[in-house]
Amino acid sequence: MIPTLRILASGLAAVCLCASAAGEATPLTPEEIATATKTDDLSIPMPGEFMASLNKIGKIDWTKMFRPPIATNYTSREQMALNLGGLIADGYVAIEAEDSLQVKNIGKDILAIARTLGVSKDVLERGGSIANFADQKQWEQLKEELEATQNEVKTAMTERKDSDLVTLVTVGGWLRATEVMSGYVAKNHTDAGAKLLRQPGVVAFLNKRLGGLGEKVRGDATVAAVQKKMGELEKLISFPLERAPSGDDVKQLNTLTTEVVKDISRKQTK
Amino acid sequence: MKRLLFALALATATTTSPLRAASDDEVAARKLALEVAGAFSNDGFKIRDGNWGGKFVAGKSPLIQVNLYAGNQYWFTVGAAEAAKKVAITVFDEAGKPVVTDPYADTSVAAAGFAPANSGPYYIRLELAEGTPTAFCLIYSYR
Repeated sequence: MIPTLRILASGLAAVCLCASAAGEATPLTPEEIATATKTDDLSIPMPGEFMASLNKIGKIDWTKMFRPPIATNYTSREQMALNLGGLIADGYVAIEAEDSLQVKNIGKDILAIARTLGVSKDVLERGGSIANFADQKQWEQLKEELEATQNEVKTAMTERKDSDLVTLVTVGGWLRATEVMSGYVAKNHTDAGAKLLRQPGVVAFLNKRLGGLGEKVRGDATVAAVQKKMGELEKLISFPLERAPSGDDVKQLNTLTTEVVKDISRKQTK
Repeated sequence: MKRLLFALALATATTTSPLRAASDDEVAARKLALEVAGAFSNDGFKIRDGNWGGKFVAGKSPLIQVNLYAGNQYWFTVGAAEAAKKVAITVFDEAGKPVVTDPYADTSVAAAGFAPANSGPYYIRLELAEGTPTAFCLIYSYR
């Protein structure tokens, strides 16, 4: 690995060479913007990024964001994938709260669902690491482990030709993270906090992915309910850049995300 | 962090896309990007596990959308295989206007650091300024 000092020394030289070039770049055209690549790996922020930004606004009691344990034995694979994403977001909340027991319990639930989805072999080892890091209270390593776990689950799903489930894991995680963040901002409204909730690019990307799901997957009752509410969310979350969302805007967002997260965790009835 | 870098490099050695093996150039591009991003991590930046890889094509500059949060600081790092002699990275806001960044560049690796004033979509453009089209890998770090 390159030592930091070497990087910084080279970097200072580079600053002198490149600073003017940055200012000379030509703006992007609307066509370029429209055709920019969007990927699950980089275009969708991880819950940890979202939480890092909120942590800068004030001291947050993350234990208040916990939710009661959810089921891990759904009959629908699609519903399991959505809940897997939600549990990963719960894992980030537990890490922010620095609650070892909660992290381990959520880790077990993640593995239980992953096992049912047939991808546990790839993540079992990660499950053990999560428990070890939690016991040792290594919170930063836990965040890395959780992100790596999510990516390994998605890779395993892709290899098993279950790409639609990858989308559902991402959607479930984003919804649960947004429920948590909007819930906090709704109760502790500040302009800076409310502005963090503006994510039009993310919702547009996720809705496009949802629209591209296979017919069978879209026919799942939970997926259909999520897709309907994600359409409403796209309108809600596209706050104008120049104005912070009001307290009512944030409450509305929180109500909708809370509803959809509950829909996701509620067992389907035949 | 070393554990993560090892895992990432190992993953690269096996695959970039889950369904095909990575070429030597792709592995080299990602290794270089991770080396530089690893230095930023000494300053508290967390490297995202995901990455975006591809190959430079003559006359085209790869462009990707990312979604960032106000208050966070970010470093975007692109590494390319040896055939690339100079690469550049530019960040644009959601209206397509270039934003001022802290630049770093050293032959086939470049990085741009900045703290967004607003949450929302941003665009990262990669350019091959000198050299032969080859594999690239973009990663980002935040704190």
